[in-house]
Amino acid sequence: MERKELLKNEQVERVLSPHPLSFMKLQALSIFVIVWGIVVWWLTKFSAYTSLFTGNNWYPLILWGLVLLLIGVVASLVAIQWSIFFLYLGVFAGGLGFIFWQHWEKDISLFILVYSIAVSIVGFLIVELYRRSHRYIITNLRIIFKGGVLTKRERTIRYDKIADIDAKQGILGQIFGFGTIIPVSQSGFGLGSDKTMAAGGIALGTKKAKLFGFAGGGKEVQTPIARSYYELHGVYPYKEVKQLVEGIVQTHVPTQYQQEQVEFQKQQVDIQTQMRDLLHKQVSDKPRRKTVRQTAEEEEPEEEEPEEEKVTMKKAVTQEDTLPPEQADIQQQMKDLLKKQRTVRVAEPEEEESEEEEEESKEEGKEVA
Amino acid sequence: MATVPLDIDVLFAAAFAPVIGVVAFWFLQLVFIELQKRMLLRLRHRHDAFCRFTNFIGVLFQTICHALGYTVTRSGIASFQLTVNYGKVEPRKEKTGVLEWIVDSFLLFGPFFIPAGFVLLASYFVIGKGFAFPTLVHYTFLESLTGFGVSMSAFASTFANFLITIDLFNPLHVGFLFVLLFFGLGIRPSYIGEERKEKIDMIHDLILIKNHLVKKPLYILAFIVIFYVFYLLSLFLNPLVYVAVFSILGWMSLTAIFALLLTYLVIGLIKATDGIRTRWMAAPFITVIVSYVLARVFFIYYPMKHVESVSLLVMIVSTIVITILLIKYKKTNRFKTEKKMKHVRVADGKKRTSKKRAG
Repeated sequence: MERKELLKNEQVERVLSPHPLSFMKLQALSIFVIVWGIVVWWLTKFSAYTSLFTGNNWYPLILWGLVLLLIGVVASLVAIQWSIFFLYLGVFAGGLGFIFWQHWEKDISLFILVYSIAVSIVGFLIVELYRRSHRYIITNLRIIFKGGVLTKRERTIRYDKIADIDAKQGILGQIFGFGTIIPVSQSGFGLGSDKTMAAGGIALGTKKAKLFGFAGGGKEVQTPIARSYYELHGVYPYKEVKQLVEGIVQTHVPTQYQQEQVEFQKQQVDIQTQMRDLLHKQVSDKPRRKTVRQTAEEEEPEEEEPEEEKVTMKKAVTQEDTLPPEQADIQQQMKDLLKKQRTVRVAEPEEEESEEEEEESKEEGKEVA
Repeated sequence: MATVPLDIDVLFAAAFAPVIGVVAFWFLQLVFIELQKRMLLRLRHRHDAFCRFTNFIGVLFQTICHALGYTVTRSGIASFQLTVNYGKVEPRKEKTGVLEWIVDSFLLFGPFFIPAGFVLLASYFVIGKGFAFPTLVHYTFLESLTGFGVSMSAFASTFANFLITIDLFNPLHVGFLFVLLFFGLGIRPSYIGEERKEKIDMIHDLILIKNHLVKKPLYILAFIVIFYVFYLLSLFLNPLVYVAVFSILGWMSLTAIFALLLTYLVIGLIKATDGIRTRWMAAPFITVIVSYVLARVFFIYYPMKHVESVSLLVMIVSTIVITILLIKYKKTNRFKTEKKMKHVRVADGKKRTSKKRAG
């Protein structure tokens, strides 16, 4: 990710991409094509059933195509995604086209083997290209999802807008340590629905009198679902990433202003406790107390003369020299703490003042108008 | 009905012959499992995913056996959970007594025998022959033991012959080989976890089994009596049945041993690839496939006898040679640095100049 894409005060925590095995569902389509191609070749050439395919050259192609399309229909129904069927239909049509174009009718089984392997390799390459197009950037302010081979898609979600986190890890994910995390936004982005439909019809009668009945039903279940480029798809290492995202989401629950206030108060409390400890330390050291008091008394009249800065500085140095080293060290630490407190205090009112000034200027502007 | 001589050997001692045989083979199986565990433990730090995979298969077998135990005892299954790290089956009704003991037996002994039974069933369709039962004449202890041994030997020889002549261009054979490998990887009932919480050695398994058996000694006695009655019945009706039952159990153990031996090859190959440079690590695995395919294609054009065996031999030899070469290649480069030492010394400001040498 380029630096200019980041927001002010934004830091990249992690850049992720999907695990190579996280798109196994897509890769399985290619695996089936290659396995089925090999099986058809073996059946027609080497098995005990070769005699079944000797009658007609087209038998292997018919068997190959029928099973391919049948599996396509079943997979489409199971995955509720008809693109699988059309993909296999395309593979079958492509094979048929090649045979007619190049006149490879004589050795169709060998063609099926070579064609299946070639198609599968292309399929694997496309899936890999698609996988590599994904990039998930986890920053301290938001999560950026990028993906798409031709059309580039991008989603950004701020941590304070995440309403829910859905995480899932399949068996492969559990073995190889990857998983999917879906951040559901307050607007419901990241939620989808699984729809199932069942319908049946019956027609009675043959010539004139016909009775037709139809019954159907549907069920819709809300479920966290998103495209791979809108979720942290198959990220590795899953547990660490999940912990990181959940941790950042938790820290982003209060607003930025509240966080700053809490931070400021924490600093103040820290300084005060440190000062208290130092004072305790100073007081508990009784034998040296007198000398400290003496020095304090000596300091008072000098502080009343702010005009002679150089002289007082020299005196202060000499007094510190006269103090025991432990006391001098404590005083030095207290000075440092006071300085720190001042700098923190100065930084805060400036912002408030500037805001007040802005408001005043606005009011003045209104009055002028 | 068979005519049985009234003899103490026949009526009493012969009943134990096949039992001894099965226990011996099962013990041998345990030893092989123990060896596999040791190998996997050594691999774990570099191949955690592989160990998790084997754990998953192991947990799968255990959970299925446990569920089968509840089904057999008609306890019903209320929930069935399965992850890579653990499996959990809860019954609808918690049953006590004999039924609980049977369920526990399924959990303890099931992983050793039930998956093996399924593989044995599958092997019947692939191998076909070799499932020969012994023929007994005198029904003595020695004859029963010898008959059991002969049956085991015949099965082992057929199985080994199948593995030597396996046709990797036959999808059925390839499928069976994968089943055998998965079975071999998951047969151990112990879990190799990220943290070694408990002992996972053979002694631990045996102690668990012993505790289970000692817990209800009466049930054991009852089982022995049932088996003895079964022996006596088979002795007078058909003595072959008794020996055949134990022969099947022995075949299961043998199948498991073959599967475990095959997994040694896979684990050995994975272990060997640790000594190879990262970018060449896949080379031995690719060699396994490519060398076999090339050999088979070669023999299509130049046919000869025992093509499958020779192709397997070519595959094994070429894989070993390539792996050794790749390991040696790494070793020769071990003491070479990516940057030249001269440049490293210049970067550190420790480069010796001619003046220093002179000084």
